[in-house]
Amino acid sequence: MKDVGYFAPSEIGETLKLLADYGAQATVLAGGTDLVPKINCYELKPENLLYIGRLGLDYIKEKDGKLVLGAATSTAQIAANELVQKKATALAQAAYRSGGAATKTIATVGGNVANASPGADLACALLAMDAEIALASVRGTRSVAIKDFFTGRGETVRRPDELLLEIHIPIPKGKTVFWKLGRRKAKTLSVANTSVHLLMDGKKCVEARIALGAMAPTLLRCTQAEALIKGQTLDITAAEECAARAVADSAPIDDQRASAWYRKKAGQALVVCALAQAADINN
Amino acid sequence: MKHVLSFTLNGAPVDALVQATDTLLDVLREKIGLTGTKRGCDTGNCGACTVLIDNEPVNACLTIALTVTGKTVTTVEGLVEGSELHPLQKAFHEHGASQCGFCTSGMLMAAKALLDKHPQPSRSAIVEFMSGNLCRCGTYLEVIEAIQAVAGGK
Repeated sequence: MKDVGYFAPSEIGETLKLLADYGAQATVLAGGTDLVPKINCYELKPENLLYIGRLGLDYIKEKDGKLVLGAATSTAQIAANELVQKKATALAQAAYRSGGAATKTIATVGGNVANASPGADLACALLAMDAEIALASVRGTRSVAIKDFFTGRGETVRRPDELLLEIHIPIPKGKTVFWKLGRRKAKTLSVANTSVHLLMDGKKCVEARIALGAMAPTLLRCTQAEALIKGQTLDITAAEECAARAVADSAPIDDQRASAWYRKKAGQALVVCALAQAADINN
Repeated sequence: MKHVLSFTLNGAPVDALVQATDTLLDVLREKIGLTGTKRGCDTGNCGACTVLIDNEPVNACLTIALTVTGKTVTTVEGLVEGSELHPLQKAFHEHGASQCGFCTSGMLMAAKALLDKHPQPSRSAIVEFMSGNLCRCGTYLEVIEAIQAVAGGK
């Protein structure tokens, strides 16, 4: 068996050069919480590992009305960060609930996005916040809206020579919330999850963004459900109708965590809860 | 090609010759011979392989060994001080917080990570923090009691 190559560059330029040279023959390694189980279980045989944990990409800062997260920022850092808790609340909640203490130490936000799991918790919150994904290569950098980033289960528009460098979050004007249902309370993968951003004017909904996870091959933005409540008075009945619309176009699967039937029921209930919390509906 | 891995293990510098895909768990158990850290699921679900990297809890089975280059790793073998058991080890023993013992080293390391940061956690904080460590014998209540005892200075 051919030995696997290992690169741990300390500079971004060097990393991009390696990606340009190796392309799909280089597997990017950040925390490894999704990647390493696949290697351990012989599902994945990488030719080269390119470790990005020495690039200094672990930071959270505020710049020009946006939160900027380095791709290798750990989920533990995000969950504990006051700036994120205050300005992108749903992301802090998603990070907090994304795993156990020992996985959150190493799991990264960039990995959660790049891995493109349909039930990714942080990516779900980022979708409701209209985040932008900054990709870098020797050809330059580009920014992709997260709603256009995922193309299938485990598939994204990232080209083999590109590095997911940063995530930019326009600081939400309204309230963001994250809800998830797993098989147990903590340290659990999502049976279904949702994140909602609502800007309210009294009881009227001015802006709405709804993301739904583990309900289709990719995370879903529920634009038709959003249109139902935008500009309308949002009470519990409207929230229930909106949630029904949100799951109407989903296509969940049966797997070891839940049946498709159960996922639809759970997803709908989660959206109702998230809307009620974000709009302060007391019912 | 094999790679040289250098890091600090339980206070002492070590070198090992490793493959790129070797995990820290592979290296600890099979190259260095420290078998206190257990291989349960090998997929980051059970917590039996919990160790500390730079004082933070990590699943050794999810950690590519070469990524700990230059870092400090603490395993259950690093808990004893001279011939004295660590207070958590004593408390686990006194409270019967293990049955078969397979999860115990991971439980101890997770508990140490918690108490090092939060010396007096609430019961619910203990339950939440320890959720990544499974015990098939079901000694959860005793584990919580043992951690509470250490936190309470008993």
